[in-house]
Parts: sequence; structure tokens; C-alpha cells
Amino acid sequence: MEILSFLARRIAQGLVIVFLVSGLIFTLLRVVPGDPVRLMAGGMAPEALINEIATKMGLRDPIPIQFMRYMGHVVRGDLGESFVRPANGASTGGSSFDDSTRGARAKVLDLIGETLPMTLQLAGVAVAMALVISALIGIPGGLAPGRWPDRLAFYVSSVFISLPNFWLGIVLTLLLSVKLGWLPAIGYGGFAYTLLPAFVLAVELSPVLIRTLTGSLASIMQEPFIAVGAVRGLSRRRIIANHALRNASVPLLNLLGVQFSGLLGGVLIVEYIFDYPGLGLLTINAVLQRDFPLIQGIAIVTSAIFVFINIAVDLAATMIDPRLEY
Amino acid sequence: MSAEPILRVRDLSVGIAGNARPILADVSFDLAPREILGIIGASGSGKTVLSRAIVNWLEAPLVVTGGSVAFKGRDILKLSGGAMRATRREIAYVGANPMGALDPTLPVGPQIVEKLHAVAPEIGREDAKRRVITLLDAVRIPSAATRFHDFPSQFSGGMMQRALIVDALVSNPAFLVADNVTQPLDVTVAAQVLRLMRELTVSFDTAIVFISSSLPTACDAANMILVLDEGRVVERQQKDALVANPTHAYTADLVANTPKIWTGTTPPRTPPVGEPVLSVRGASRSYHVRKRGSFAGTSEVRAVRNVTFDVHAGENFGIVGESGCGKSSLMRLLSRLERPDGGQILCEGVDMATLSGRDLLAFRRTVQLVLQDPFGSLPPRTAVGAMIEAPLRIHGLGDSKARRERVVAMMREVGLSPELYDQLPLGLSAGQRQRINVARAMILEPRILIMDETLSALDQAEQFKLLALFETLQAKHGLTYIFISHDMALVRRTCDRVAVMYLGEVVEISRNERLFFDPGHPYSRALLSAIPTLEEKRYRTEDCLLDGEPPNPIDLPVGCGFAGRCPNAFDRCRVESPVLMARGNRDLAACFLVEREAAPVLEEALA
Ligand SMILES: Nc1ncnc2c1ncn2[C@@H]1O[C@H](COP(=O)(O)OP(=O)(O)OP(=O)(O)O)[C@@H](O)[C@H]1O
Ligand code: SF4
Ligand SMILES: [Mg+2]
Repeated sequence: MEILSFLARRIAQGLVIVFLVSGLIFTLLRVVPGDPVRLMAGGMAPEALINEIATKMGLRDPIPIQFMRYMGHVVRGDLGESFVRPANGASTGGSSFDDSTRGARAKVLDLIGETLPMTLQLAGVAVAMALVISALIGIPGGLAPGRWPDRLAFYVSSVFISLPNFWLGIVLTLLLSVKLGWLPAIGYGGFAYTLLPAFVLAVELSPVLIRTLTGSLASIMQEPFIAVGAVRGLSRRRIIANHALRNASVPLLNLLGVQFSGLLGGVLIVEYIFDYPGLGLLTINAVLQRDFPLIQGIAIVTSAIFVFINIAVDLAATMIDPRLEY
Repeated sequence: MSAEPILRVRDLSVGIAGNARPILADVSFDLAPREILGIIGASGSGKTVLSRAIVNWLEAPLVVTGGSVAFKGRDILKLSGGAMRATRREIAYVGANPMGALDPTLPVGPQIVEKLHAVAPEIGREDAKRRVITLLDAVRIPSAATRFHDFPSQFSGGMMQRALIVDALVSNPAFLVADNVTQPLDVTVAAQVLRLMRELTVSFDTAIVFISSSLPTACDAANMILVLDEGRVVERQQKDALVANPTHAYTADLVANTPKIWTGTTPPRTPPVGEPVLSVRGASRSYHVRKRGSFAGTSEVRAVRNVTFDVHAGENFGIVGESGCGKSSLMRLLSRLERPDGGQILCEGVDMATLSGRDLLAFRRTVQLVLQDPFGSLPPRTAVGAMIEAPLRIHGLGDSKARRERVVAMMREVGLSPELYDQLPLGLSAGQRQRINVARAMILEPRILIMDETLSALDQAEQFKLLALFETLQAKHGLTYIFISHDMALVRRTCDRVAVMYLGEVVEISRNERLFFDPGHPYSRALLSAIPTLEEKRYRTEDCLLDGEPPNPIDLPVGCGFAGRCPNAFDRCRVESPVLMARGNRDLAACFLVEREAAPVLEEALA
């Protein structure tokens, strides 16, 4: 029952957050300079025509009215249609204002539906890699505070933190893909294409995870129940695996929840570098093309994912540590 | 004892790596099967180090520098890690910090099963679980099978200590080292744990090394006592002989400083019957706490329930009870840090709740508070003089020169050297810090001083000195003291009248002599039976102390609050709540048994 009331409360909060984010993005998109109709119709289109199209599309109505109309569609599961992308795939430029293809514009939901799984796969692999890296480096560090594994963890995280992701992505592509031919890098043609970009993201995620894990493990190892475990006859392996790591994972989990927002930024860049057909690439193109409905849809979906992940993380944390309040 | 000793400690020395000063020097003793050996010593004498050394559990920088600890003929200090872990089945340890001893994120029962499984892998999970539940039941943890799945934070200190005793005994060890196990517990719970340990040596065939910083506690538990001073065994005697003829100076001091309750030579002071300066009239106070895991639900904690008493001018009034009984909540009401949400508190005839503005300020001068913690309560970056002067400044009294003179005079009066005036409180002893607190309270020339556990953190000698100071101050300034304490011995020594609190209620108010020699309430008797003393007890734990701990003030039982633990409870107690009833001579107790004995007195009076 406690879990249900927790979920109900958090989901309600989440909906509010998603609504506010949507409203904010919606407003921003409409006040920043740059008229999407101008982009769609092309620079040569007469002003009157642009105004006509814009009025037809409702873009000249007051923002709150536009927003409410939009949200009315959203709650029915309709995220609208892209301004610029045809249903068949390739993005149309703004060269022609001949509007014959308007009926065949791609649905935003479909566009997101195609790319989101790719990005989730990338993010999942990246987080898994980051966790493995942080465990391999952070756990020995946390168990030997002040000694060389601790210092190693410190240096590794310092190096990782100072590697720019675009630079690392390019270097790794040149080395592993172009020179050695071990891994494919550009585009997507199977799971192997995920590995390099995921690794670049993992390197970006790891430093904070390593530091948190080292720090929290080192402080948990000072807790009396760790020392008492030895006199109770538990082996050191067991104490560390069953108790120290369990306790140390709570701050790590909370951090992961926060890091996901950072991950989104990384995804944009990495997908762009590797031409990885995910949500990040879609976002970049959508922004470049001022594709309002698409940007708007992506914002709603990502903020919903963000809310969902934070609920999941908190749920997992309370599962591990019952003292945390729902 | 002719039996081969289980444990033979010989010339055990422990030091710190790279430091010549030994922490333990040449400690030798034997432990016979089923024996309870008491070890006492001052703080820092090496008790904890010894207790850890004999279970081969020293951590850097401590190292064994010589000697042996032979368990069943084998020196365990020389065992390898694996062999030592196997031996842990036979050697158990319980420490002074029950709340920190288990992983807070896992339920208690499974952790004990885990330990049993680690030292005795041949026992199956189901068997292990059954065994743990049986033992939890044996140490009288209520509804053990459900409690098995509770988390450490859901256990009280006393229950946790008992669970750890289960954890220690679950593998049927040959001996158990108990380091200060009763220290963090309330007196009645400590007495229960002690009784439990004595029973267990018999039923489990376990020998115990019982280490304590309190001589009476050690004497309660053990027959043979070893005295440790600066890492050396300075004395070993049977307990009676030790108390009668201590040979070493430290032991002699310890025996002399152990307070006496019934055989003391305290000259009975006739309590002054002046005007009531403080009248508590049916005061109640509840707090609302958020219910775990609900939207907006709160539970009501009834911290103070319908409390009524008078404190007379010049009196020493005591309020005793165990942790959580509402003492400190009542203190907050008496000092008007909070207002009661039912009833009234009158100070010199004026309802405190109505005070405001200048009257409130004047009241604050009349009633001052000295708190428990001598370390936390002083701002570390303020000079001693400025600290004592602060109340004068707040109340805008005198110019800076006059204030300084008053502060210096006050420092002299409480026994602080005026040289401390410009110094920071760093490095001052607990006693000196407490004197600063007293000076801070006294500087406003209050009429009433409320002492909330003021002396608890001090050792016996310091307590004596401060009590003498209180007496002098009282004689000079006509003060009224209210002592709030859990320490019955202290109350016996200082108070004229005492209110005993249980679950937010005052269950007895009696004059000192009456309370200690003829208590009116079964809970008072239980408290008396649990005082650690060296004397023959007037009230035996066996008769007066039932199991269990105070119920939670959130879900109060109907009927008498004490019924669940009362050895005298009968049917009526579970349906009806007793109120304070006169027992003659202004002594009151809230127990139906009083009615029965009081009735004839009343008839006599009528006749
Ligand atoms: N880990 C340690 N490192 C350095 N010194 C230590 C360590 N543990 C204990 N000592 C020193 O050993 C001496 C004995 O300490 P110990 O804790 O055994 O005292 P104790 O008798 O248990 O005192 P208490 O009654 O306060 O528990 C003290 O001087 C203490 O400072
Ligand atoms: S009223 Fe009953 S239960 Fe309460 S203290 Fe008296 S005898 Fe015990
Ligand atoms: Mg100790």
C-alpha cells in the first residue's frame, strides 16, 4: 500500500513536471526569433502567403491558446506532425513552397518511436559500461582509502573528466574503427554499432560515479557494523559484497537518477559524431530546422522518461534502504 | 573451580605500533566453564582493548606485543584468518553500541541467520531461521516471528541489545565477551539484560567475560571481579571481599564513590513548605508526527498527560523516569519553551501561557534552564566571559563595566577562575563547561533553576563538587531547584520530593524517604530494584521487574499505562486508568492498589 501511494504521488508530481516543461518549451519556441513558416516555405515566399499559412496552422493565435490546443491533442496521444519531414523519411528542405506534400508529413510520434529505442539501447549500454568501469576502479579505491587504488581511482576519474567527448569519439573512431577495423563506428547496422558511442558516453558518466562510489564505500567501511561483522564470524568478502556495497549503492543510485539529465546532453553530441540514428540526432535536426512540433514532442517524451527514471531510482533506493521515506 | 579453564590469558600485552607506552600490560586470567568473570576499570583503562584482544579482534594501530590467549589449549592469537573465522562459532562478542552493530538496510533476523550460516554452514536455512526465532523468543522479544523481519531501526536499544545477545549465542559459543553491554540502556532494561545474561550462562553453558565501567553492575553480574587500571590488573577478588576490603587505591575510591541509597547517612532535610512558586495544573502536551508512508496522516504522540503538581519555594523537586517518558517535554513546558495544549502552569500565581512582552521577559529571568550536554551547548568561538555576559546583554542590564564585574563575581561564585574570562571554551573539562552553563543561568538571578540531566555526563567526583555548589547557591540566593534525571541515586541525594513519570504521566509524587523506603507505585518499585548499587537491595529485581519496555506513547493502551509490565496488575487495571491518590502526608500515587491500602487510613481519620 505504501508503494502504491508513493507511486500515485510521484506520478501526479511527474505529470505536473511534464506539463510545465512542455509549457516552457512551447513558449520559448514561439518567442525566439526565426519563423518556422519562413523556413518551411522558403526565403523567397511572399510575406502574405507566409501569413496565410501561419494563420491556417494557428501559429498567429495567442500562445496560451495554441498551447492548450496542443495539449488537447497530446492527451489523446497525438503529438502532431512534423513541419518539415515527409512520412517517407528524408527531410524536406525549405526550397519549395509548393504545399502539395503537406498531407504526407511524418507523424511526430512515429519519428520518436523509431529513434527512441535506439537511444535507449545506447543509453542502457552506456550506463552498464559506466557501472562496470566505476565498480572495477571505484570499489578497490573505496576499500583502500589513501593508498594506491584510491589514488588510481582519483587519477582515472580526473583523466576521464578532462576528455572532451567529441575528441574521444573521433580518436576512438580513427583508432578502433578506421585503423584497426575492430568495431564499426558510423551510422547503424547492428548492435556492434552501439559499442563505441556507448563507451564514449560511459567515459563521460564514470568520473562522478567513481568518486561517489569510492567516497561512499570508504565511509561505509568505517561504520561499526562492518567491523562488528568480522567478530561475528562473517568473511571479509561477504561483509563487502552483502553489506558494504549494498549500503554504498544508495548514493550511487540517487546519483544515477541525476546523471540521466547529463546523459541526454552527451547523447546529442555523441549521436551527432557517430551519425547514430537516435533521438539525439533527431533533436539536433529538429532544432536546426525549427521543427516546432517535433522539438515539442521530444521535450515531452524526454521529460516523461526523466520523471520515470527518477521514480524508478527512488523506488529502488527505498527498496535497498528501508529507512528512506517513501 | 577444578574444571579445565576455557580461556587462559597469559601475560597479554597490547601496544600501539610505533609507541612504547603499553595499552595493556601483562594481563593474565583464567575463565572456567560457565563462570561469569567481571572486569571493571575507569574510562580509558583498557577494558575495550582487552575485550577485543581476547577475541582476537584488534585493529590497527593496536597490536599484541606479547602473551597468549589460549582457547581450549590453542593460542587463538596465532590462528590464520580462516581458522580464526571457524573458531568464531565458539567465541562470541557483544559490544556497547547495539544500534550500530547490524546493517541498517537489512532485517535483523536474516542477519543473524547469515551469521549462523557463516560460522556453521552445515545448518540449513530453515533450521537456522527456526533457531533464531526460538532464541529471539527466549530473550523475550515480543512476537519474535514477526520481529524477525523488522529492521534495526525498528528495534529499541534494549531489544537490539537482546537481539545481539541472540546473535552471539546462536552458534552455541563456549564463551561470550560482553563489553559494557548495559551502558546505553535505561536502568530497568539494563537490569533485564543483566538478568537474561545470568540465565543464559546456565541454559546455554556459556561462560561470560563481563566488562563494565560500573562496579555495582559488574557485581550484579559476576562473582569474581578483576580491576583494571592503566592496562594492568591491579586487583582480583570475590565481589563481596572486593567491596569490603578493596586493596588498590582506585578500587577503594570506586567503592567509596558508589552512591548509597538505603544505608547512606544522608541527613534527612525537612523540605521547606513555602508558597508554591510553580503550580502545574493538569498540563498536557501532544506532538503530531508524520505517519510513515501515508499522504497526510499524522499520529499523535501524547508526551505529557494531565500532569499536576506544586513546587514550593526553596524546594529541591525531582522528576525521574526512563528515556521517552516525557521528562524533557515537561521541562519545555515548565520553562515555557512551549505552551501546554491542555491545562495550566502557574508561576507565582500567574498563568504562564498568558505572559507576553515585558512580563514574559521577567518570567524568563525568574526561571532558568541548565541543559544536559556540556559539550554541545556552548558556542565554541565565544570567550567564556562573553558567554556568561550574553543573558545580561539580552535583557539590557547594566553598562558594560557593571556587567563585567557581575560576570567575574559570578565566575568566582561557581568556581571558575576569572582568568578564563577572555579564553575560548576549548579544552575545558565537562565539569568546567557545566559550571559555565550554571553561571550563565545564575547571572540573571533566577528564583527557579531547572536542571535537565545537568550532571549526567559528569563522573562521580565532579557530580559531588557541583552538588555542593548548588547547595551553596541555594543557601545564598534562596533558589528552588527542579532536577530532571534518570539517575535515582542522584535524586536520592538531592531532592526533597520526587515525581516519577511513566508514559507522559506522573505516577507517583512522594517525599524522598517515602519514595525510597515505601514507594506507592509498582513502577517506582521497579525503578528502585533496577538501581545498580552495592547494598543489599530493598526491592529485588526478581519481584519487581517484569519484562518489556514502555509502550509507544503513540498507541497508548487503555487502562493503567503500566499494566503491561506490572507484576501486580489485575483485571481492573486493563480497563480503567488510575488517578493520583493520596497516601497520607502529601504523598500521592496513581495505582489501584493504593486505593485499597488508603481506604482504612481514611476510615481511621473519619472515626
Ligand atoms: N584504536 C586505538 N588507537 C589508539 N589508541 C587507542 C585505540 N583504542 C584504544 N586506545 C587507547 O587505549 C586506552 C584504553 O582504551 P579503552 O577503549 O580500552 O578504554 P575503556 O576502558 O574501554 O574505556 P571506556 O570505559 O571509556 O570504554 C586509551 O588510552 C585509548 O586512548
Ligand atoms: S493500577 Fe494496576 S497495573 Fe497499574 S500500577 Fe497499579 S497494579 Fe499495576
Ligand atoms: Mg570501552
